[in-house]
Amino acid sequence: MDQDLRVVKASRSFYDFFKVNSDETIGTLIYDLGNKQWDIPKLRELLETILPEKTTFDNYVVEHDFSTIGKRIMLLNARQIERAFGKEKIILLAIEDITASKNAEEKLKKTFIELKRSNEELEQFAYIASHDLQEPLRMVASYTQLLERRYKDKLDKDAIDFIGFAVDGANRMQRLINDLLDFSRITLRGKELESVSLTEALGAAIFSLQNTIHESNAIILNDELPMVKGDLSQLMRVFQNLIDNAIKFKGDKTPIINIRVKEEGEKVVISVEDNGIGIESKYKERVFVIFQRLNNRTEYKGTGIGLAICKRTIERHGGKIWFESEFGKGTTFYFTLNK
Amino acid sequence: MEREEFKIIPINILLVEDNPGDARLAEEALLESKIKNKLYLAVDGEEAMQFLRQEGEFTNVPFPDLILLDLNLPKKDGREVLAEIKSDERLKRIPVVIFTTSKSEEDVLKTYNLHANCFITKPLDLHQFLKVVRSIEDFWLTIVRLPKE
Repeated sequence: MDQDLRVVKASRSFYDFFKVNSDETIGTLIYDLGNKQWDIPKLRELLETILPEKTTFDNYVVEHDFSTIGKRIMLLNARQIERAFGKEKIILLAIEDITASKNAEEKLKKTFIELKRSNEELEQFAYIASHDLQEPLRMVASYTQLLERRYKDKLDKDAIDFIGFAVDGANRMQRLINDLLDFSRITLRGKELESVSLTEALGAAIFSLQNTIHESNAIILNDELPMVKGDLSQLMRVFQNLIDNAIKFKGDKTPIINIRVKEEGEKVVISVEDNGIGIESKYKERVFVIFQRLNNRTEYKGTGIGLAICKRTIERHGGKIWFESEFGKGTTFYFTLNK
Repeated sequence: MEREEFKIIPINILLVEDNPGDARLAEEALLESKIKNKLYLAVDGEEAMQFLRQEGEFTNVPFPDLILLDLNLPKKDGREVLAEIKSDERLKRIPVVIFTTSKSEEDVLKTYNLHANCFITKPLDLHQFLKVVRSIEDFWLTIVRLPKE
């Protein structure tokens, strides 16, 4: 543009983008271009007040409804350019359409706020679960037990049985609530990921399972494990759940559990292989869902939280977890972690 | 020590608890106790402080020998009650047992910082509950040596 703000030259993309040709553009006052769609107060202020004073303006965001292309957010930059002696200075105006990236940014901001709110709600839920839900439950369990204790002599066998079911139900519900709480704490209360020893995580898991391992005569073999980016107590829990499952679903064999490691660039793949009853392939997705149990309660105890905790933990660590299994022969769980 | 065993003056316990079901359970547990005791109940934090300061309708109540304090209470929260007790010259030596459903680490830390004498999470199981109440009583009223008035 010249000093009178008439267009001297425009780029190809300017013509394409604003759907105008050079005839109607060259020599025209910028504000008169394309049905005066550039007659924007903000642009007038920039070109007439700020530019003459400072010879430049940078990164001004202008939101405007253009008659040819609709509502857009534009990023404007301008320079006064000195030319050879005797020639008039010209103005270089760069227009960048940032509508898409602005919208994406807005959306991201909204999602972030939404996420933060839902996280706070979860935190609130966790407290409610730990306190407000447990109290009425304790009342149910305690008073049915008190009934039994106080009136044992007056009750028949049926009555004692019924009380047994009520207390058992309350106990099971408390375990579910505690498990749910554990599950929600993986992300809420997780520590920052740092370099930790998987050997230490496995060692702690084996130590916590020593009674189970001893009673089942399980044999646990492992490779030397590397350092990974992780939360030590959470990774310990992953090993604990996988080994505990391997022993729980052993069938009639002595459990042999092999823990191996394969390094793939920046990732490590850990596998936990057992010789247990295996998982039918049709349950491939379901095993990782919270409170899903594939076997009956009397034979195999537990709420069905273990693998859901593993999955959530590994995903929090930026990894993946999956398994391969031959029904009746054994299962191998794999998970990836970052070095 | 031996002469004290023959004292017939009952041990006074103040239970601060808003849930009647829990209050009754504690009462049942203490009924089965071998130590002669008298249980007083305050149903919120304000009532607890009035009782301890012998104000209003509580002008004739005794000083408790032991306080069982729930944390989540109406009006005045258990944490505030604890802070007031422990900063009151006349009250601060009375053992305060936090007896709550909470398992939160934050609550444990906070109450010990406020000089709670111990923190106990109420067990779900009745038999455990009864055992715990009796252990509290046994420990604080017969095993522990506390300063005389």
